[in-house]
Amino acid sequence: MSKTFDRYASILFLLIGLLVVIESQRIPDSAYGSAVGPKTFPLWLGIIFILLSLRLLYETFTYKSDVTDVQSFNYKKFAVIFICAILYAFLLEKIGYVLSTFLFLLIAFQTMERGRLVPSLIISISFSFGIYYLFAKVLGGSLPGFPIF
Amino acid sequence: MNTLQFLADGFSIAFQWQNILFALVGVIIGTAVGVLPGIGPMSGVALLIPVTATITSGMPTDAAAASSIILLAGVYYGAMYGGSTTSILLNTPGESASVVTTLDGYQMAKQGRAGAALAIAAIGSFVAGIISLIGLVLLAEPLSNIAIKFGPAEYFSLMLLGLAAVSGLAGKSMTKALLMTTLGLMLGTIGIDAVSGIARFTYNQPVLFSGLEFLTIAVGLFALGEVFKTVLERDHEDGTIAKINRILPTKQDMKDSTVPIVRGSLLGFFIGVLPGAGATLASFFSYMTEKKFSKNPDSFGKGNIAGVAGPESANNAASGGAMIPLLTLGIPGSGTTAILMGALIMYNIQPGPLLFDEHPDIAWGLIASMFIGNLMLLVLNMPLVRVFAKVIQTPKKYLLPIIIAISFFGVYAVQYTTFDLYLLLGCGVLGYLLSKNDFPVAPLVLALVLGPMIENNMRRALTISNGEFSIFFTKPLSLLFIIIAAAWLLIPLLLKMKGKSVVIEDES
Repeated sequence: MSKTFDRYASILFLLIGLLVVIESQRIPDSAYGSAVGPKTFPLWLGIIFILLSLRLLYETFTYKSDVTDVQSFNYKKFAVIFICAILYAFLLEKIGYVLSTFLFLLIAFQTMERGRLVPSLIISISFSFGIYYLFAKVLGGSLPGFPIF
Repeated sequence: MNTLQFLADGFSIAFQWQNILFALVGVIIGTAVGVLPGIGPMSGVALLIPVTATITSGMPTDAAAASSIILLAGVYYGAMYGGSTTSILLNTPGESASVVTTLDGYQMAKQGRAGAALAIAAIGSFVAGIISLIGLVLLAEPLSNIAIKFGPAEYFSLMLLGLAAVSGLAGKSMTKALLMTTLGLMLGTIGIDAVSGIARFTYNQPVLFSGLEFLTIAVGLFALGEVFKTVLERDHEDGTIAKINRILPTKQDMKDSTVPIVRGSLLGFFIGVLPGAGATLASFFSYMTEKKFSKNPDSFGKGNIAGVAGPESANNAASGGAMIPLLTLGIPGSGTTAILMGALIMYNIQPGPLLFDEHPDIAWGLIASMFIGNLMLLVLNMPLVRVFAKVIQTPKKYLLPIIIAISFFGVYAVQYTTFDLYLLLGCGVLGYLLSKNDFPVAPLVLALVLGPMIENNMRRALTISNGEFSIFFTKPLSLLFIIIAAAWLLIPLLLKMKGKSVVIEDES
């Protein structure tokens, strides 16, 4: 367990809890005459959440951090794949499913491990076309297949 | 109509050709999911929901729901089968319920008895599947007859019990588990309130009006979280795969494992019925029991076949047992059953006591198809063990990006919004960070599914009682549930204070 992560997380959760409590006050009361309107449940949850995050914050001062092993992280690899995934989400409706999926897979395969371009190409082409064909043509689902020009 | 007649009707549904096909596809995909490290039963089921939704889109609602739940349940118990394969051959469990199988299974493989271990795991799983199904058939009617008398107060307390059970057993820190549960409940309040029609926490964003889709969150937290973890942390290929020589176990093997299989099945079934406790706990307890009953406990950990037979039967029986609270009470007891429940709700079918009255074809069709599915698994897995062992060797280079692509496809095909894709990626990062720091994510998903139901039942109960909260404590059953819920949270705390270690249920 990382103590610093827990501490920051508990503070963040505390703020979220406060936000929920404050924002739940702005939910209008329900029209019909029930004692418990739409704001009650979120309000309680917010309060419980605040109490729990305070408890976690308190706990971070009582236990010792036991992170000792230094791991090597592939930040670069992760960053490239993650940014590609964001672009994939952004481009999906714009350039269509087939093209965006193909590009995403090809770049991601090559990021995971350089080289062997031909199998990467074959797998990404067959996956993107295959899914589109099966889903949109055989099963009749709707997917934005190709760019609309 | 009596139970047997219902069961016969169920079989007539399960034997329709498309449902046999659905069960077959389900168990094959499930086995693959169990074998592949990185996707557990939970993300496997979540990923397949959109696919089944599309395949069944042309059918009438009831038949479509029956078919897809048959497939999804097949993935669930198929994954329990598959998980053992990697434990035995690679010493890396494919899902957390097979962790104890590594202890003796891998040792057996090292001694050249991998085939026997795999076969016993398959036979044990089959027997367990059948035993838990008999239990399901026997308990389903009586339980749903009791549950049908529940009012909103009882339901509220029962769901509270479900959440308490999952939070009490998940993760190392209960504070963190409870935080995740509350977070899930809060996320569940986003959207238009079902009772009053007032928009909450939507800030006039149309995408938020219908609330956050549980499917997106579940796939993000579990599947993508695991993918991101592997990309960031695991670079090297792990272990070599043991060879499989002969597949059939010897007579002595069969003799040694008969009792552990039966014992493991019964134990697993009852643990599975309890909310919160699931396959992981069941396999763990079974291993401890076998060690206790064994004539030479020292041989455990050195390739004792009972150490494979017991736990493997137990985890399968537990996944069958977990269906009981889901189908009869409408309360999922674990992360995976929460996802199955979400799938049923997508078809506008509310699991619970009324399920057996209103949709007997779905409930009994599912039960009957589980008989067939288990049989298929046995028939498939014995000869195909070598093929599935090959699946383990799928290079990560291709596997990980494809899991991301399948998640994207799955989420987009159900939601048709790019917003959900961003949410998916966000949940992936969150899932990685949370589970890396021991914040369990299964309670979050469960709370997200149960949240709106808890709130509605609470408000209905309070409307009946004119806002008096005493209604939850004066109704005897409701009081009982609340007491059990409190006990579930307090007993582990007390045990921890006494310095005893508490077994946790970890699901992915």
